[in-house]
Amino acid sequence: MTHTPTPSSPDDAFHIAAGQEGVCLCMLGDWRLDRLPRIDAALGQSRQALAGVQVVDGSRLEALDTAGAMLFCQHLKDAGLDPGQLRWQQFPQRHQDMLALVRSRMQESTVVTPARGSLMHQLGVWGARGLVYGRDYLVFLGHVGEALADWVRRPAAFRHREFFVQLEAVGVGALPIVAMMTFLIGVVFTYLLGIQIEKFGANIFIVDGVGLAVARELAPLLTALLVAGRSGAAFTAQIGAMKVTEEIDAIRTLGLSPIQVLVLPRLLAIMITLPLLTFVANISGLLGAALVADVQLDITWYTFFSRLQDVLPLYTVWLGLAKAPVFAAAIAIIACQNGFSVSRDARSVGEHTTRTVVWCLVSVILIDALFAIAFPKIAP
Amino acid sequence: MTAPILEVENVVTELGGRRLHNGVGFTLQPGRITALIGGSGTGKTVLLRECIGLIRPAGGQIRLFGQDILSLGPRAMNRVRQRFGVLFQEGALFSSLNVADNVAVPLREHTPLSKALRDRVVAMKLALAGLPPEAATKMPSELSGGMKKRAALARALALEPELLFLDEPTSGLDPISAREFDTLLRTLCDSLGITVLMTTHDLDTLWGMVDRVIVLHAGQVIADGPVDEVARVDNDWIRTYFSAHAEGRGHGI
Repeated sequence: MTHTPTPSSPDDAFHIAAGQEGVCLCMLGDWRLDRLPRIDAALGQSRQALAGVQVVDGSRLEALDTAGAMLFCQHLKDAGLDPGQLRWQQFPQRHQDMLALVRSRMQESTVVTPARGSLMHQLGVWGARGLVYGRDYLVFLGHVGEALADWVRRPAAFRHREFFVQLEAVGVGALPIVAMMTFLIGVVFTYLLGIQIEKFGANIFIVDGVGLAVARELAPLLTALLVAGRSGAAFTAQIGAMKVTEEIDAIRTLGLSPIQVLVLPRLLAIMITLPLLTFVANISGLLGAALVADVQLDITWYTFFSRLQDVLPLYTVWLGLAKAPVFAAAIAIIACQNGFSVSRDARSVGEHTTRTVVWCLVSVILIDALFAIAFPKIAP
Repeated sequence: MTAPILEVENVVTELGGRRLHNGVGFTLQPGRITALIGGSGTGKTVLLRECIGLIRPAGGQIRLFGQDILSLGPRAMNRVRQRFGVLFQEGALFSSLNVADNVAVPLREHTPLSKALRDRVVAMKLALAGLPPEAATKMPSELSGGMKKRAALARALALEPELLFLDEPTSGLDPISAREFDTLLRTLCDSLGITVLMTTHDLDTLWGMVDRVIVLHAGQVIADGPVDEVARVDNDWIRTYFSAHAEGRGHGI
């Protein structure tokens, strides 16, 4: 059989010619994945010639893979031909097998593109998701309340070991970083305030300002933010990883309550340690302030602390410390709830850990704002 | 005879101070399905991972498509990597991408296809692996074990590999899905001419679809050949292995 190339084949992938047995398409060379774009373009340009093909010849085909076979069958179909009705000649057995397999699976292969809704649809989805989150938190709070009530009834069921482990991780582990950060903030705050206050010659009043700021806002807030980033993220990652490896299900199956075993020890540990850390933060913040006051403003350590005793009401210190357990509860609930809502894949752990940190920071600052509104006075 | 696809020679592996393989060797000819069997902890998966260049053996030689992969540079190794596909035990689908995008990853990295063409190739691969079109937009976490394996197979087949490595392809599947998966693999390998090396514990797979069995025991290959020959080999471990399963099988097939 002889074939003559026609202008209808702009590429060297095939040519179409009239032979003794009808119009014959002769496949040439390499029909593999990396040449697919060129073959696709060539077939697209010869669509009209393709429609008349009756015979397909594979004698000069060197290589064929499933992608090539799929593309060819697709173009034949687009040209209005049924690949099953054509005569396929001189194809080696393996190519015939492949073509048969590809043809049989062609019907099932359709390109599905994910649906993307309109803006209103998106808004609706976000809103609904927000409501679901809200409900999830309420349900989780309910479970925690139930576990707490259970603990009051049966104190022996409390997990002491886990509690002390968390106490150490959340409290002792955070001591150096909390002390260092608040010391530095004390230094910076006093330095900047001192520059202004010197202009008025009101050096001694630095004690009033720094004492109030550290005890009421800086120490509780900074400590809570540090612990939220440090322990909140850890809670979510720990519980989330346990969820992925089905440990949570195992706990439940063994007749234990995951809330009892995992959440209560963390919740109590963080609620106890955060006020203690805040106290440490108060001390180190004031030490930093006293250091700068001594160096920059010529206020001796003795003067600083005796003035502090006069002007800083104990009420303010207590108020600052009282905020800590509330921050702590919010951090523990958000972190543990996110840990439990991790789904069983790797990406989910990271996603929920991020969400924990963001929501912990937001809620700590919101709670702080609520405190400021509820207790606006400096002294009772 | 055609050139061998994979040659493993005298491979020695030491893991954690323990000698896992003590001179393992075999050769794969094109177009056959070969299974590596052996007890748990005999290093089947480790050997498989050495063949695909994820672990470096302490000694010996591994040649893929005639190239010594232990002395290849990273770029040459990447070219070799495009010629084989791997199906990991748990599928190892990327959890942040949906099924279609998972299959599209190798195509996007290594081929010049346009998006439209790529989408069609992906749809084809999914159909070849026996997945319904709706599965394309699902996330891996929404798939059942069998569907995950199929999606992972579609990804392994994306670059039209000449050689497929399968790590326990039927583990975690129910017997019906497992047999379907076997049939699918057999069909694909026969019609696409792919060579397969798998590790398995599944005796039904061995009897049903495997051309050749290599038995690893105590760090060495103790038997190598068609299933019925290997099953007759006079060795304690092999006898126990085949009879333990046979008793559980009732009256055979």
